Amino acid sequence: MSVTILAKREFSKREVTAAQEAPGKTWGRTAGSWVHDLCALRKVITLCPLCTHKFNPGRLGYRKEKEFPFVQAKCDGCDTFDVKCSAYFFEATYHEVRSTAADRRATKTAHRKLLAKSM
Amino acid sequence: MEFAYLLGGGTPTIKKYKMAAGHAAGIIVLVPAADATGLTTSTTTGMVDAVGLTLDAILSQGAPVAYSTTQGAVEHLQSVIINSDAVFKALLVGSAANAVLETRTVGTASSNGLTVVGTTGDTDPSSPDMDEGTVWYASGSNGGASRKITSTTTTLTVTVIVPFSANRIGDKYHTADYTPGTEGVTLSTNLQNVRGEIAATTGRMSCIDLNLNGAGNSSLELILTDHIWSGSALS
Repeated sequence: MSVTILAKREFSKREVTAAQEAPGKTWGRTAGSWVHDLCALRKVITLCPLCTHKFNPGRLGYRKEKEFPFVQAKCDGCDTFDVKCSAYFFEATYHEVRSTAADRRATKTAHRKLLAKSM
Repeated sequence: MEFAYLLGGGTPTIKKYKMAAGHAAGIIVLVPAADATGLTTSTTTGMVDAVGLTLDAILSQGAPVAYSTTQGAVEHLQSVIINSDAVFKALLVGSAANAVLETRTVGTASSNGLTVVGTTGDTDPSSPDMDEGTVWYASGSNGGASRKITSTTTTLTVTVIVPFSANRIGDKYHTADYTPGTEGVTLSTNLQNVRGEIAATTGRMSCIDLNLNGAGNSSLELILTDHIWSGSALS
């Protein structure tokens, strides 16, 4: 009589975490509808060079990340991982997670003016 | 907390992950806890096995979307920047509720610039201990200058080795228990800022640089020291 040994696989924390990546749009769904749903939820939108020209960020209250011209991400339009994706942040949440060089310069300038007054 | 830059330069990597709850934008998320539905939030001092920083919140038309396990409800996804060498900029605040950092006032002038002595009513710089942290002036002839603190005493005194210029009574200054290399932060209750009024503790982030301005706009540049995709051992 044969004996079958069942060895339960122990998944590592890294494997469990990697499995949490969102699969993207469901089969049969159009890219435009999926991206607009993400926009309604104010998610970061990442689009590959072939899809990015189809997206109008200004009309939807989004801004393109320009300090980093590219990000590595899965394209929300065609579900392809691309190392030259563009990232679009919702305007109202941009300053919670990013700042521009102009913002940082303005902070420094304001502080320098305060220091000059206190001399 | 903001994503500032990558230590090694290059392009950041952004992934959309399933979440175990609705997290705010700009907080650190961790590997999924047992039986959780996705990435879990850090705590004020708990950042073990971190994955990265959330880049968006769960909002729909301006209103928060409740995390839901109801059949048919949308799955909660949030974008996370996952580079293990990502540097984050966090505002230095003076309380768990994000009050501004304490502004101390020079009460006894120091002609040799080797000490900075506060005024009665200022918080004792030796408790919470600011030793090995940084002191910087926000007004007076030393305005904008900073030094590493080498000792503190209960007499409202912080001592430095490289002297400041002579100060005068009434000059304003700040202290924080951080210098480049200091590990161990305590975040404010909203998990977005670093508490500068208390001593460095156990939160697994290390200070890379300090942006020293005034009470409400000074910040730290931090890197995660227990990131799941780095070489660190998983706990």
